[in-house]
Amino acid sequence: MYADYAYLIVALPVLAFLLCLFVGWHLPRGGGFLTVLATFAGLILSLGIFSEIYPDKIIHQSMPWFANFNVGILIDPLALVMLLMVTFVVTLIHTYANGYMNGDPGSARYFAEAALFTASMLGLIYADNLIQLFIFWELVGLCSYLLIGFWYRKPSAAAAAKKAFLTTRVGDVFFLAAIILLYNNLAGLNLALKPGEYLLQFPVIYAHITQIAPDQLTLIALGLLGGAVGKSGQFPLHVWLPDAMEGPTTVSAMIHAATMVTAGVYLVARMFPLFYAAPYGLTAVAAVGAFTALFAATMGLTSFDIKRVLAFSTVSQLGFMMAGLGVGAAVGTVAVGVSIFHLIGHSFFKALLFLGAGSVIHAVNTNDMREMGGVGKYMKWTMYTMLIGSLSLAGFPLFTGFFSKDEIIVIAYEYGTLINFLPYIFLVLAAVLTAIYTFRMWFSVFTGKERSDYGKHESPMVMIGPLVILAIFAFGFGYVAQNGFYSYLDSNFEHYDVDFVELGIIGGHVLEGEHGAAAEGEQGAAAEQAATAEGEAGAEEGPGEPWYIQILPIIIAIGGILTAALFYWDKVKKFDPSQVTGDKDPIRKMLLKGYYQHEIMTGWFAETVVYGTALICNMIDIKLVDGWLNWLSAWVMGFAQHVRKVQTGVVQNYVTALVLGVVVLVVVITLAIEVGLV
Amino acid sequence: MIPLELYILLASTMFTIGLYGLVTQKNGVKLMMCIELLLNSANINLVAFSAYQPNVNGQVFALFSIALAAAEAGVGFAILIALYRLYGTIDLDNINAMRW
Repeated sequence: MYADYAYLIVALPVLAFLLCLFVGWHLPRGGGFLTVLATFAGLILSLGIFSEIYPDKIIHQSMPWFANFNVGILIDPLALVMLLMVTFVVTLIHTYANGYMNGDPGSARYFAEAALFTASMLGLIYADNLIQLFIFWELVGLCSYLLIGFWYRKPSAAAAAKKAFLTTRVGDVFFLAAIILLYNNLAGLNLALKPGEYLLQFPVIYAHITQIAPDQLTLIALGLLGGAVGKSGQFPLHVWLPDAMEGPTTVSAMIHAATMVTAGVYLVARMFPLFYAAPYGLTAVAAVGAFTALFAATMGLTSFDIKRVLAFSTVSQLGFMMAGLGVGAAVGTVAVGVSIFHLIGHSFFKALLFLGAGSVIHAVNTNDMREMGGVGKYMKWTMYTMLIGSLSLAGFPLFTGFFSKDEIIVIAYEYGTLINFLPYIFLVLAAVLTAIYTFRMWFSVFTGKERSDYGKHESPMVMIGPLVILAIFAFGFGYVAQNGFYSYLDSNFEHYDVDFVELGIIGGHVLEGEHGAAAEGEQGAAAEQAATAEGEAGAEEGPGEPWYIQILPIIIAIGGILTAALFYWDKVKKFDPSQVTGDKDPIRKMLLKGYYQHEIMTGWFAETVVYGTALICNMIDIKLVDGWLNWLSAWVMGFAQHVRKVQTGVVQNYVTALVLGVVVLVVVITLAIEVGLV
Repeated sequence: MIPLELYILLASTMFTIGLYGLVTQKNGVKLMMCIELLLNSANINLVAFSAYQPNVNGQVFALFSIALAAAEAGVGFAILIALYRLYGTIDLDNINAMRW
């Protein structure tokens, strides 16, 4: 019954968008309650759908659109958990925004754009084909542009919005190329599609991956990865994410927790069979993810802007998710469950941290941690909820982040034993740094004594409420949901006609489950069982690790927190802002500058490569393209200068020409008749 | 009855005179008169053929043609008067604002 109204999950926020946009001016608080209600209705619908289809059904509705394309809704376990997470987290963020944006003259515009943002993300999640996904993907990009540049009168905000838009656009070009390539390959197969099936529908794609040439698969996978890298802020396209902090904090929370950056990870998870079958597909994902995780974590260590610390942390955690998917080369579909579990858990504690940071900024009126200190004395609620979020992010035992992140590290270890230890090493180092920078932030904001004269008051209940709810989830979600979640997501690809053993052979993967099947010597018949068994085998791998691998994450988390305490906890060591402001230390300076990537991009790269290319293009344009055209038009002009003399303005000349013409015609026709041509 | 050839000869002569005038003359009024000659030579042909056919259609058509010629003359002279007011002359050599 709920399934029939699945389209409302997107339609209601769109309605809220239109209402806020056109009549929001006349509503209290810019019509923010409409946006909250629309998203909350989506949450209710998602819960209803969950109760209907859990644990073993999927919803697939579709109708023709044009030519070979359709519009449709596909809710499988993967989409369902994402729907639940997005509607839940975004409802809380919108509620919080009602307090946070109160009094802003543009609040109607904010809530309209936020509603459209939510709608696009939800549409992206349950799209049943790549074209529809791409459309919503672009809408998400557009809304992020609008929201990051919400305070567009501020030049830095306008620049950040532009940067976000252009950077993600680079990835989107790859994504579009991958879609075109995939479509061409599928169309080239001349498939006999049943009525209601369309080429770019996910079930159809899954079913025919094996028929596409492996090198084409690799190209498609890399293109899709390019899109995901842009959207999910992976190296080297992560540069827009920290700058995206220019928007209101609620926007940051939405972008970083629920709506935008998870889209890239979701895309890779959604196309996991294709990545799995593509040689090097998952290797590239693992490499990008693991590198980004460490790379961003180092930058998070030095930033003084509380929101930038969180932004780098997001980039790093997204790296974890990507790496989690990438190591699926060794562990199979279980990687999807592990990675998406971290995505969901991360969205809870990252939304919590951002909203908490927003609460602090709301009171303190600065983003700079050097000017805070001792905020905890005045903001108890914010301090303790932030503590839960930080513990979760750091991976402290029994918190959500502990279960989700450490499972990624464990499967990375398995990947290491089978293929390559590099991702594992990178991820472990990143996890250490995560614990350190998280508590560096927490200690330097909430403990110690005030380092400047800031506003000392707790935020209103409409802001504290969502924090508390998110804190409960950031604490308990991992422990409660872990096992059920993995097995539920493992079943995701069982709903489709896709055989992971066969895909693994194309992709050249060695699988635990495959060994088992081969040993039994029943390859043909056992292949299907192996595909289903391999997930369970992967899930059961966990306890098989050496004890020190099991213990390591706990040591990492506690060790990291203690290290941070050593340097930043007031009770241990007096915090001296003057000590950290200097950029004499070259390493600190490099990290602060984000490895000079901005300088390289806008300085060296822009001035030599881009400017040089621009000069050459300009020359070609002027000399060749315009030149040819100008020569042609000049020739026409010159010719016309002569020919125009025919127009003498003397009537007699015209008459003479007319008569002569008639005479010529008569002569010609007469001759023709005489000769017998006519 | 006068032979048809004579009518045709008359019409051809008139047409040639008209054409000659049209090409050689500069005066606007003379040009109008030449155009009338052209039209009327055609009318003579129409009527002559109609009388020999025998069929009244050609003569009816000639009547239309005369009416048309009258209208054309009216418009033509109106233009000439306008031109005269503008330029103070109807010598077409001097009226060449439309040339290149």
